Amino acid sequence: MFDILKKTLKTGTVTVNYPKKPDIAPAGFRGRPEILSDKCTYCGECASVCPPGVIWLEEGMSEKTLTLSYCGCIFCGRCEEVCPEGSIRLTQDYELASKTKDALLTSTSRKL
Amino acid sequence: MNEHTDAVRKDFKSEILDENISGSETYFRVKEDAAVRICDQLYHRMDCALVSIFATDRRKKEGCFRIHYLFSSENQLQNDRVQTANGFIIIQIDIAENAPHFHSVTSRVPAANWYEREIQDMFGLIPVGHPDPRRLVNFEDWPPKSYPLRKDFDIRTKPERVKGEYTYRRVEGEGVYEILVGPVHAGVIEPGHFRFSVAGEPVLNLEIRHFYTHKGVEKLFENITLDKAVFLAERISGDNSVAHVVAFCQAVEKIAGVDIPPRARYVRTILMELERLYNHLGDIAGIATDVAYAFGAAHANLLKEEILQLNEIVTGSRLLRGMNTIGGVRRDIGDKKDIISQKLSAFRNDFRELMDLLFASPSVADRIETTGRIYNDIAKGLHVVGPAARASGIDRDTRRDHPYAAYPDLKFKVPVLKAGDVNARTRVRADEVYESIGIIEQALSRLPDGDIKISVKEIHDGYALGYTEAPRGETLYWVMIENNRIERCKVRDPSFCNWLAIEYAVLDNIVPDFPIINKSLSLSYSGNDM
Repeated sequence: MFDILKKTLKTGTVTVNYPKKPDIAPAGFRGRPEILSDKCTYCGECASVCPPGVIWLEEGMSEKTLTLSYCGCIFCGRCEEVCPEGSIRLTQDYELASKTKDALLTSTSRKL
Repeated sequence: MNEHTDAVRKDFKSEILDENISGSETYFRVKEDAAVRICDQLYHRMDCALVSIFATDRRKKEGCFRIHYLFSSENQLQNDRVQTANGFIIIQIDIAENAPHFHSVTSRVPAANWYEREIQDMFGLIPVGHPDPRRLVNFEDWPPKSYPLRKDFDIRTKPERVKGEYTYRRVEGEGVYEILVGPVHAGVIEPGHFRFSVAGEPVLNLEIRHFYTHKGVEKLFENITLDKAVFLAERISGDNSVAHVVAFCQAVEKIAGVDIPPRARYVRTILMELERLYNHLGDIAGIATDVAYAFGAAHANLLKEEILQLNEIVTGSRLLRGMNTIGGVRRDIGDKKDIISQKLSAFRNDFRELMDLLFASPSVADRIETTGRIYNDIAKGLHVVGPAARASGIDRDTRRDHPYAAYPDLKFKVPVLKAGDVNARTRVRADEVYESIGIIEQALSRLPDGDIKISVKEIHDGYALGYTEAPRGETLYWVMIENNRIERCKVRDPSFCNWLAIEYAVLDNIVPDFPIINKSLSLSYSGNDM
């Protein structure tokens, strides 16, 4: 019993004050991917390698749109790996909870 | 040299149709009616473990189905003499489409039980003489004559549901009650049905039923590209991600005939041992929880969390995902050497302190000693693997017996205990934690310079076996590639072997000890159901 008390006191408090105090993920964390609109050339390479298929390219009459859904994203970073322009990358953001699926979509588009 | 393959060649000369050696795998295609005798001999006389049975649909190319019996052939002591052997022996038989049946080996080799029933469900090949021919994977509402792994079964098929009934074994008698548990459980775990027959508190019989979450993973493999398949393998069993993905990548790399860079082999080894650490800590925490040793559970969970956070720093993922690829690893961890060493050395001290307290506690000992015993002959007969096997006196570990990645260069012990109870399984895990830390430290200090991956583009047609020792035990991938696509990917998760052992482990134990026994076996639903 004495040993248990000793270890408990030695350990002290280990919980952190999240979310009051933000908990920043370490560098290199595989978090929410973001599309950098100004660099994207709409080549569709990311869409073709995405394992769960949550990136898609739409080519309409007047514009091209690249959409990514965080719903099924597995944060593998294949999109970041294959993008020739470096226009898609994983970030340190992990707070993705949302009440609607639409809020979990991100897209970029360009007029033709 | 392999004495076991030599013996098969000599004893079954007239039964072997052809032979094909590829690396450590020796394939013997034999006459259909000889398979049972050969399996019997390999298992009973040569002590080779039956590690998997699976089928392939070769009707298009070769006009038949093929069944593969996969045996592990290892150095072993027999009659005071060490037999020299190292590798895998695969016995193959061809099955004609118009005669879709084969002789069951289950009554001779009990470990064949679920594999044969799985083949029956997925390929429609009937194991004649199987002692329990009920369905296993497909439930009773699955229509007859609908076999998902046949090539002419389209992946988009939505089968019509039919009516049917599943019969459980029954124990009858005065005062015998059935307790039905699941498939929906109280905690956030996966579904499985447990049917206890009890007389008072002691369990007379337990029958388990699984595959509620069968997802058709093997079919899915055949319908996606290789680069995407890597991420599927990684997600088959959530907490054994690295072991699965490495086994898959190793199989594909073998087919491609590439040696990955030494640095990648070492990085993979470090990742696999980090995975073992957090799994074993989670299991020890779970056992402590189930024996109401809350202090121990809290500290074990704290240590597990420390490893998960270390994983995140090292790989960007708490569960070590996204690191492996065909041809090596995707990120270097060289700049993380110091932090890993520092964290692990503190971790080792904390872990030792905790284990000293845990095993010195009389209330813990009272609950885990002699509880849930799996006797050596049962473990061997069912081909139990991993820590559960090593706690029942089975001295097997894929890392040592079929070395891969950097394990041939590193020194480690394989802890083996004999009692086969919850206590032994907990102690084996605790001992393995120290070995894992030792392996990581050696791998870090010897981490070779150089590339972390080589490019693998075109892969010629072929097949190979990939294997790892996951935290739960031996994990196998048999992959066949045709035209740069997966023709067949057979996944054998350790839990597929270990689940049946729980039916034996609980016998003569009281119902309240079931959760501890279950936890001590650390069984995966996801890896099993696939």
